[in-house]
Amino acid sequence: MWDTSTDSLLSLLQWCDSNFPSGAFNHSFGLETYMQEGKVVDKATFADWLAMYVNEQFIYSDGLACRLAFEALTDSRLDDIWELDRLMTVQNLPRESREGARRIGERMIKLGTELYDCPHLQHYRERVEAKRAFGHPAIAFAIIARHVGVSKRTAVLAHLYSSVSSMVQNGVRAIPLGQTEGQKLLYELQPVFQEAAERLEELTGDDIGIVSPGLEWSQMKHERIHIRLFMS
Amino acid sequence: MQRWTGMLRLTAENRQGRTAAAHVYHQGAYKIARPMYPDDTGQVYYYVMNPGGGYVDGDRYLMELELGEHAQALITTQSSTKIYRTPHQPVLQLSEVALKHGSYLEWLPDPIIAYRNARYEQRTVIRMERSASLICAEIITPGWSPDGAQFAYDELALKTEIYMDEQQILFDNVKLRPHGKQMLSMGRMDGQTHLGSMFVIGEQATPEFIEQMCDEIGLDTLPGRIGLSQLIVPGFAIRMLGNSTQQMEKVFGIIINYVRQQWFGKERLALRKY
Repeated sequence: MWDTSTDSLLSLLQWCDSNFPSGAFNHSFGLETYMQEGKVVDKATFADWLAMYVNEQFIYSDGLACRLAFEALTDSRLDDIWELDRLMTVQNLPRESREGARRIGERMIKLGTELYDCPHLQHYRERVEAKRAFGHPAIAFAIIARHVGVSKRTAVLAHLYSSVSSMVQNGVRAIPLGQTEGQKLLYELQPVFQEAAERLEELTGDDIGIVSPGLEWSQMKHERIHIRLFMS
Repeated sequence: MQRWTGMLRLTAENRQGRTAAAHVYHQGAYKIARPMYPDDTGQVYYYVMNPGGGYVDGDRYLMELELGEHAQALITTQSSTKIYRTPHQPVLQLSEVALKHGSYLEWLPDPIIAYRNARYEQRTVIRMERSASLICAEIITPGWSPDGAQFAYDELALKTEIYMDEQQILFDNVKLRPHGKQMLSMGRMDGQTHLGSMFVIGEQATPEFIEQMCDEIGLDTLPGRIGLSQLIVPGFAIRMLGNSTQQMEKVFGIIINYVRQQWFGKERLALRKY
């Protein structure tokens, strides 16, 4: 159920549109390694991979960071935001995933400051340009979502949805799957998203960056794959 | 109640090319063996003796280690870290390490073996100056239980924070809670039983060095699933999934020996495991 005004809804739809040029379509975050290993080959195995990605990595990284950033903004704890920006970067040990996140984050921050007059986002942009912050999509999304007036829970769920929906598009192109199968997957993942958002509420700052060993291995291994479609 | 079950504080310094303890203090169940000098490079080897063969419920251990300017040390353990059942309180191991200008630490503990229903919390904070060098490596086994079941422990939580000139450059948060999970599934352990982590940091760990190392040791031909990636400072992280301690020690040994030879002209490690 939407708890957002129509204006907020439209802005949120814009940010979650798979055509939104964040650059996320360049990154598989390890999916491509599993494809090359023959572990992700069809809709069923891709669904398993996506659920694993959400539950074993996303909630502890981008999901939790989005929630914590939103809370820090609400309490005007800006220093915590910059600390989170650094923590999210240094916990991301696979270089390609780390640089991918930084690129997407930077892109979102730039686009956001072009669209809105949002002092926090402008501040973030200046810090990134001065190399005093790295730039992270989850933090950028939290700042933007709060600026356009959506609730914390909706923000986290929307960030989860838009990240996974980019990934589904990547899978559809690369595995490949039919567009209809891709949409079925997104629909079938709704309970996974809902449960992940519930679990996210229970986590604490202590849980940030919890490692999913195999997935992290695949993200590091991707650097050494010779023929590839994605940058991570 | 004693605050620490065991505590160890060690400060080592370089004395005319040879590293020696400037200050050692230990209390309770924590002991350290006599320093050894297995080669002629002045690097000191210390063996930390694990308490009575294993950790039990509510044990709390603290280690504080400082290497002064240009000091070189290798710290290892005498046997694997065994954690027994912890019905009430998890075992806590806290380590604080400071590496001063030009110092070099090899931190190579034996593998962690958690028994059925064990909980273990390890927190390691390393503060290094930009000119210091570090190799740390750790292996987590699937544990031990009477019926041979793997992953029967309750929780292993290992947190590592590394700071360089006061800024955090690495955060590693491994938290394994096997209950109700298929630990061997895709994305978790991917069919493997052992998890290894290694961090190598130092000004000499440039992208070119890393590339050359991977080529020369034939990284892609080594056994196990090995991920290696550059950090945000000169250095790299390794995450390895494998099926035995010996396999991981073999791979880690190849990398450690390569790095210490290239950076410091040192011979192979004089340890039983590497």
